[in-house]
Amino acid sequence: MEGSAIDIVVFAPLAPLFGVLLFWFIQLLFIESQKYFLSKIRPNHEPLCRFTNFLGILFQTICHAAGYTVTKSGISDFYISVHYGKVKPKKEKKGVFEWLANSFLFMGPFFLPASLILICLFFLMSNGFTLSATTDYTFAGQMISFGSNLHSFTTNFFTFLFNLDLLHPGHFGFLLLLIFLGLGIRPSYIGEKQKKKVDMLYDLRNIKDNILHKPLYVLLLFLAAYLFFYVSLMLSQNWYSALLSIFGWLSIIAITAMFVTHLIILLIKTTDDIPGIWKFFPYISMPMSYVLIRTVFLYFPTSFTNSVSILFTIFITIIVTFLLLRSKTNKFKSKRDIKKKKKKDEKDETRRVIEE
Amino acid sequence: MKQEELLKNEKLERVLSPHPLSFMKYQSLCMFLIIWGIIAGWLINFSDFRGLFAGNEWYPILVWATVLLVAGIAASLVTIRWSIFFLYLVIFLGGTALMLWQNWVPASGVFIPFYMIAVSIIGFLLVEWYRRTHKYIISDQRIVFKGGISVKEERTLRYDKITDLNSKQGIIGQIFGFGTIIPISQSGFGLGSDQAFAGGGVQLGEKKAKLFGLFGGGREVQTPRARSYHELHGVHPFKEVKKIVEERVQGSVITQYQQEQVEFQKEQVDIQKQMRDLLKLQSDSKEEEKDDDNEDDEIKKIEDTVKKLKE
Repeated sequence: MEGSAIDIVVFAPLAPLFGVLLFWFIQLLFIESQKYFLSKIRPNHEPLCRFTNFLGILFQTICHAAGYTVTKSGISDFYISVHYGKVKPKKEKKGVFEWLANSFLFMGPFFLPASLILICLFFLMSNGFTLSATTDYTFAGQMISFGSNLHSFTTNFFTFLFNLDLLHPGHFGFLLLLIFLGLGIRPSYIGEKQKKKVDMLYDLRNIKDNILHKPLYVLLLFLAAYLFFYVSLMLSQNWYSALLSIFGWLSIIAITAMFVTHLIILLIKTTDDIPGIWKFFPYISMPMSYVLIRTVFLYFPTSFTNSVSILFTIFITIIVTFLLLRSKTNKFKSKRDIKKKKKKDEKDETRRVIEE
Repeated sequence: MKQEELLKNEKLERVLSPHPLSFMKYQSLCMFLIIWGIIAGWLINFSDFRGLFAGNEWYPILVWATVLLVAGIAASLVTIRWSIFFLYLVIFLGGTALMLWQNWVPASGVFIPFYMIAVSIIGFLLVEWYRRTHKYIISDQRIVFKGGISVKEERTLRYDKITDLNSKQGIIGQIFGFGTIIPISQSGFGLGSDQAFAGGGVQLGEKKAKLFGLFGGGREVQTPRARSYHELHGVHPFKEVKKIVEERVQGSVITQYQQEQVEFQKEQVDIQKQMRDLLKLQSDSKEEEKDDDNEDDEIKKIEDTVKKLKE
């Protein structure tokens, strides 16, 4: 074992913690960006936004209920709607139990839904869950260990994502789950009048209040983390870094899910500009192109069937959307073309009026 | 609603029909058929387990039927409606009969997904047809409910006959803004009941002496329930419709009428009071004018006498 004593005793346990915090913060930024995009499509897609809010509230309420279950407070009332959720404990416990239940409520939604996907991945992904065994218990060593755990998981996770076989019910279900998680990772608002906005500041304020409410408990949590690190060190097992790496995996899953949903929201926002029934064509082209390319690959098999099929589908959807935007709207047009289109529209309008 | 169907002085407020997603309980039965059809097709033809089905040409049919019927039993138990099980049984029997008739048993892996998709499409169309037969007409005097595919049902309900309004909105309803309003009439129309029964038996002794006892108990809970053409099923926009109906119901209640009468009488008394005050004011001003005229005359007389005296 290399490194100074102070590095091992004081700084090394902080390395994976910083890593988890960093990924969690990126997750927060993605959530904020997603809410911004959702607010942009809200006027035309109110039901979709209500659905995402329902998912967010569902996850939040489940986390709250999990908090009361873990602290053995029991659940006397569980209510969930599109606008708000409510969980009442059987016994109102104070002190550390109350603090723990609140921590579940404020922190749980960031990790609990992602853990559902992680469970699914255990069954669908053949490898990627290997944890590195390190003998270096310094700050740098722990950081490298945390990073390599994340790297091996991310590589396998992305390989799996790009090789999703959408004609496989399990893979297709996984994609749906990933999209649902991404859409509903946090609710956009609480309450029917949508006054209480759930944004990044709301989450951070709640977490800060929870920490400042009982700073002693946070200190105890830190002490427990340090103790766990020392135990791992004594037994020469890198359990500490492995445990926090799992939190890192969860953040990566959540960020990926939100990236996918960003693309979907972007497609919805773009197709909103296309008039009439033409706006549905990009959505129709998606499954059609996938089935078409898979049929082609059925007769001409290659080793990259799944990934090429996904890329082909994405490419076709982009092309169809672009062509529709160009032909049906003023987007991607020169001034001369816009004028031409205007004239054509005017002519059509006069012809229609005359006919009427 | 045609104009001639309206009563004298009746004003039409809304003509509604259920939201396309309001019959989700029926649509979900069709959705299950599609999903299971696709999964069955994938299992038999493409999955890693496809080798298991190669042993006997009846294996795929056996697996397909088992899952279909077990799902039917589960859905029937949950909803307490055995019609779901019998529906799935008919689908299974129909499919099997078709396969035997056309000798498609060896190709069941191809037949099953296509058959299930076709059946569920027919199911979706039937549900949509059923939905479209529903019409709810809300006027300022009554609500008319119309529905039924072969037998046309119609219910007319006057607002003053409604004693209670029950409304419910599921999660899909909350998302898409539709919900169900059950108006309960004075006769109890719109109320159903949930019944639960528990029973048990005991047998004591095995050879000679036998003692047998049976005990049981039941309970019944009244709950708002009506056929979809006897309620405002899945109406959109839910909150707006609910407000209209509630206002109409409250407006036709006798206490409301009495309140309006009291307010009207109060207004009348106020008007009369104002009239009295006005009359009083008028009469006072006339008297004052008279007094003023008298004073002027006297002054004039005095002035005249003073003038005469001076002369």
